Amino acid sequence: MERHNFHRELEQLKLTIYKMAALARQSFDNACKAYLHRDDDIAQAIIDGDREINRIELEIDRQSLRLLALEQPMARDLRMIVGIMRISNDLERIADQSVNIAERTLFLCQHPPLENVPAMEALIDISKKMFAMAVTSFRDLDAVAAKQIPALDDQADEYTMQVLKGLIEVMAASSPGFEKRVLKMRRSIQTIIISRCLERIADMSTNIAEHVVFIAEGVNLKHIQKL
Amino acid sequence: MTDTIKFAVKNLDFYYGDFKALDRIGIEVSEKQATALIGPSGCGKSTFLRCLNRMNDLIPGTRVDGEILLDGGNIHDPGVDVVHLRRKVGMVFQKPNPFPKTIFENVAYGLRVNGVKNKATLRQSVEKSLMDAALFDEVKDRLHQSALGLSGGQQQRLCIARALAVKPDVLLMDEPASALDPIATQKIEDLIHQLKTYYTIIIVTHNMQQAARVSDVTAFFYMGRLIETGDTETLFTRPKLKQTEDYITGRFG
Repeated sequence: MERHNFHRELEQLKLTIYKMAALARQSFDNACKAYLHRDDDIAQAIIDGDREINRIELEIDRQSLRLLALEQPMARDLRMIVGIMRISNDLERIADQSVNIAERTLFLCQHPPLENVPAMEALIDISKKMFAMAVTSFRDLDAVAAKQIPALDDQADEYTMQVLKGLIEVMAASSPGFEKRVLKMRRSIQTIIISRCLERIADMSTNIAEHVVFIAEGVNLKHIQKL
Repeated sequence: MTDTIKFAVKNLDFYYGDFKALDRIGIEVSEKQATALIGPSGCGKSTFLRCLNRMNDLIPGTRVDGEILLDGGNIHDPGVDVVHLRRKVGMVFQKPNPFPKTIFENVAYGLRVNGVKNKATLRQSVEKSLMDAALFDEVKDRLHQSALGLSGGQQQRLCIARALAVKPDVLLMDEPASALDPIATQKIEDLIHQLKTYYTIIIVTHNMQQAARVSDVTAFFYMGRLIETGDTETLFTRPKLKQTEDYITGRFG
């Protein structure tokens, strides 16, 4: 009663989501690079590349539903398929947030740089780290590594607040001329939106970590305060 | 859901001649629940089922060690009347086996054997059993026609009605739907859901999805041993043992 064909198809589904995860990581890493280096070419490439990630999400939905309907998977196979469907949803939203960062970056590239807010770089670092850890823990089905991720989310929230505070101060500082003051506010608000995207990506990396624990151990950590 | 134990099996060994078919089986079966026994062919699940109402006594050269307690009493005690035991622990087989008699007489058979003669009592009991087996509406106008004219699915529900007529506590089902088409199978599965309100049901099935759908508790047998028992939802989503996981996910067997 060995189910070779089903397990081959399940391996194929895993390869598909690994590819999606790699593309989402690339998209997010490039979004951070585009923002930090004020590179509008990279930003535009992220926006153009999002269609492929959306296509893979639909492909994962199709493959997963097919396996659920036709193969009636059990135990770890069932958890893997349900987990993959949840993770692909988070990956797609992370890719959308990367597009959002790229769109704000295109605007910022057209104007002089703002005063530096140090927490912004710290926020980029920690959200990149959390997403990378989430993807690696999924690939290795490493629940122990996945359980480290939610603890970092508090730090990400803290940096987000610091960015907001710093940019409020930037906006409050007087600039000569009405036009310049408006432009500074517009750039600051766009940067705040970017920080919000980073914070959301940290949240979704935490979601992925919870899905990894669910797949590996069958335990649902959603809405549990502490791991 | 209740925690009253209907069957308590302790250290049960079973031999066909020199071949040990069951090895130190220990399990408690709760009352008014459906318990599914799963495992690959030859794992001992049907042998175990037949131990529970001593059907294996009919096979020469077999031997049992260990205890099977039904409501606390050992079913192998010398004073146990096997006919009474089998009345209390009824059985439905893989292939429907109606008697070549009318539908009515099939269900009335066990009652007549037990000395019921009153016609009104017989009629009431037969109708109630057919209703409980979800068959009455389909056969009420032809109760006195041959049971052999029924479809396979109807014949199987007739066999269930026949088992219910003598008011058992436990219903053993050995692959009751494996010879039936999907619609007849669905009816049997729905029936199991209804029956477990009143009866303790133990079902052997090769169909894991069926075990998952109909049972509250599932026991996994492999090579004569009981490997893992647990509530069905847990066993099919996160079994404790790798051997169980490998079997239910189709990685061996």
